[in-house]
Amino acid sequence: MKLSMYIIKRLLLMALVMLGVSVIVFFIAHVIPADPVGALLGGNAPPQLVDQMKHQLGLDKPLWQQFEIYMVGLAHGDFGISLKSNRPVIQDIGEYFPATLELAIFSIIFSIILGVILGIVSAVHRNSWLDHFSRIFSILGVSMPVFWTGLILLLIFYYLLGWLPGTGQLSLFTIPPDHITGMVIFDSILTGNWQAAWDGLRHIILPSIVLGYAATASIARITRASMLDVLRQDFIRTAKAKGLSKRIVIYRHALRNSLIPVITVIGLTFGSLLEGAVLTETIFGWPGLGRYIVNALLVLDYPAIMGGTFFIALAYSLANLAVDLTYAALDPRMRT
Amino acid sequence: MRKSVVVLVSVLLLMGVVGLASIPKDTLVIGANTGIFITLDPAVCYEVLPSVVVMNAYSGLFKLESIGGVIKAVPELAESYEISKDGKTWTFHLRHGLTFANGDPLTADAVVYSYKRVLKLHKSPVWLYESLGLTADNMDETIKKIDDYTVQIVTSKPFAPNVVMSILAESWGGIVDPKVAEAHAVGNDMGSKWLTDHSAGAGPYVVKLWKRNSMVVLEANEKYWKGAPKIKRVIIKDMPETTDQLLSLKRGDIDVAWNLTPQQINSLKGNKSVQIITTPSQSDEYVGMNAGWGPFKNPKVRLAVKYAIDYKSIIKDIVGGYAINNQEFIPAGYFGFVTDNPAPFHQNIAKAKELMKEAGYPNGFEVELVTNTTERRRNEAIAIQADLAKIGIKAKITIMQASQMYSKYRQQGIQMIVAGWGVDFPDADALAKPFADYRVHQLAWRLMWYDDYAADLAEKAGFEKNAAKREQMYADLMEYWFLNGPFAMLYQPLQYWGVRSEVKGFDEAAKGYGLVFDLMKVYK
Repeated sequence: MKLSMYIIKRLLLMALVMLGVSVIVFFIAHVIPADPVGALLGGNAPPQLVDQMKHQLGLDKPLWQQFEIYMVGLAHGDFGISLKSNRPVIQDIGEYFPATLELAIFSIIFSIILGVILGIVSAVHRNSWLDHFSRIFSILGVSMPVFWTGLILLLIFYYLLGWLPGTGQLSLFTIPPDHITGMVIFDSILTGNWQAAWDGLRHIILPSIVLGYAATASIARITRASMLDVLRQDFIRTAKAKGLSKRIVIYRHALRNSLIPVITVIGLTFGSLLEGAVLTETIFGWPGLGRYIVNALLVLDYPAIMGGTFFIALAYSLANLAVDLTYAALDPRMRT
Repeated sequence: MRKSVVVLVSVLLLMGVVGLASIPKDTLVIGANTGIFITLDPAVCYEVLPSVVVMNAYSGLFKLESIGGVIKAVPELAESYEISKDGKTWTFHLRHGLTFANGDPLTADAVVYSYKRVLKLHKSPVWLYESLGLTADNMDETIKKIDDYTVQIVTSKPFAPNVVMSILAESWGGIVDPKVAEAHAVGNDMGSKWLTDHSAGAGPYVVKLWKRNSMVVLEANEKYWKGAPKIKRVIIKDMPETTDQLLSLKRGDIDVAWNLTPQQINSLKGNKSVQIITTPSQSDEYVGMNAGWGPFKNPKVRLAVKYAIDYKSIIKDIVGGYAINNQEFIPAGYFGFVTDNPAPFHQNIAKAKELMKEAGYPNGFEVELVTNTTERRRNEAIAIQADLAKIGIKAKITIMQASQMYSKYRQQGIQMIVAGWGVDFPDADALAKPFADYRVHQLAWRLMWYDDYAADLAEKAGFEKNAAKREQMYADLMEYWFLNGPFAMLYQPLQYWGVRSEVKGFDEAAKGYGLVFDLMKVYK
């Protein structure tokens, strides 16, 4: 199959997935026997006010009619108006997503550096204490709850040692950068606001470590496996026989060849970092999309829940697509 | 390896050199979960914490003050007022020379505009205006400007004066600058979209910034008619996780931790740099029994439940002692609160069993006990389940999201519930009606307690002008309600904060929290 045909096929599949996501999310959000207006107005509100508000918001219409309105809006790129913030959902997403994206970018950088190093060390020193340490570290990364890791790191590095700041994106008295991308550190650098860039960098260290830890673990495991695979191959033996130094064999020959599966994992991990930031964002007071969706869920803000979930699913699908396309470009056998 | 560890530690140390600047003396930093913030428009806002911002950014004709432990409405922008003989026409006289924070004059036009705005926008607080008989349909006749400094409103019934004044003293009674609101209007929204995260009031502060899920910044209104506040800048920093609030408070990075748990607040005892501030909360925590369902139709069974509960251990073990053992529906300190014996029930299993036997349920029965997902409510439900088991009642606990629970509750679909009720305005009427008058379609109605004696008494007391008579009516109602009502009142919560020692006046500012919070009283 030609690459262009493959791309078209993947795009169509993605559209189908997004349609499925929107239908499922709509119906899950609406079958819950709860009442978003009642939740918004609070426990005290009299029933007539709840009914009036439902009418104003069109929530008293039959379900299929609400679904039709939602799907028509979606087709026009309109996620509707958030019941809670009373603003277009797309505007809310535009405000919250850059914070999540920035955190995901720093997390993935952290996990790539640490994960690849751990993977290499593990593979090269197979079955040594370094290997065992790296594997235990990886298992802990996958199994430790983000909530716990986050609070422990805050306790040590913020409260006890005072090396790093607490929660939020910037210190309270730091002048924030002008809005360009919405990502604080990038905007600070672009506008030459070095104080904010430095402050932002200090603030993002702990949350990106916490968020990236689990990803580090999977990158380390796949690097190790792939390295071991490559290290057993003939060309490595040849390189060693030629008398090349261990360092050159490992970094120039083995590592380069073992990175392809690692890149795939990195791509998929990045997608999952975008959707997995909810707890990290809560612990670190990070104004991202994860918290937006959770807050929306608590009051059953239908448009926000549906818009936010759709957007995250889209981001994940795009990351997935990018990985598949990279792979397909590199290896024509994948285009079948 | 060793080298890289050294490098890492050095980088961290270097980063630590540029620490947080300490908080300036004229700035107050509050750490709080701002997830509940929906809007700062006084005609729309109804949540407790955002109301703190609204009531400090706007002034109304009246203001709530804690005087001798009682929350009262006192004149603010209104210099004086008169009530007609029939008790329905109110004439308010405004102070002269009032201005909004931006310098625009504040006159009768702004008052009339603001009240009509609440009715036209028809959002959460509107029902309080409507309960006085003011509606969007009749507002041109019932809310009038007499001259630049005189406003008249006509209520549908001769309500007790404190009812009307209290409703107008709340955040939804805040006067909005019509010029600013209309300049930012989109369609018919009367500036509501813009006022979601800006302010146009005459209160001691101005909303400078609300960056959602990040912070709210208030700046002093130097033109405030009583003089500028001492704290020039108030920052509410979003900290959804309570442990973050605790750590930041201890390090001095915030002045106030707003949402600590009882365990966390108790851990601050003995810490010299932090003070613990408490104040009675304007709310009730209760167990409700559906008087229209099975065994609960019998008042003796409801009474048995009231005698089965171990109130003291719930207060001690679940809320860490941060509650008042008050079983009345009227909070301590309110007009109508009966001081003689506010907690007539205590656990008496023998008596409860006897009542169950008399009611024809010697072996108990099964019931579904519903509550919502907060840890405190869950623990309360578990404690009550254990208490009920002692008299043979097998309670099956169902935990729901609050939105789901209230939806079912409003449809009278719950057998038994653990829930709370926040006071809407500081008058006994705001509690007697929901708890005893089924005709207002609130709590008594949700629990199908169709008791006309209680409903009549609650209604009549709301109109009674003679204070002594009115007080006696609430005392009679309370006595009847204790024996017959479908509620076992668990406690009146105490609100508490962790506050840095250098912050003064916070205890005075917080009195009446839930209805009022006066930042003017805070200083360093």
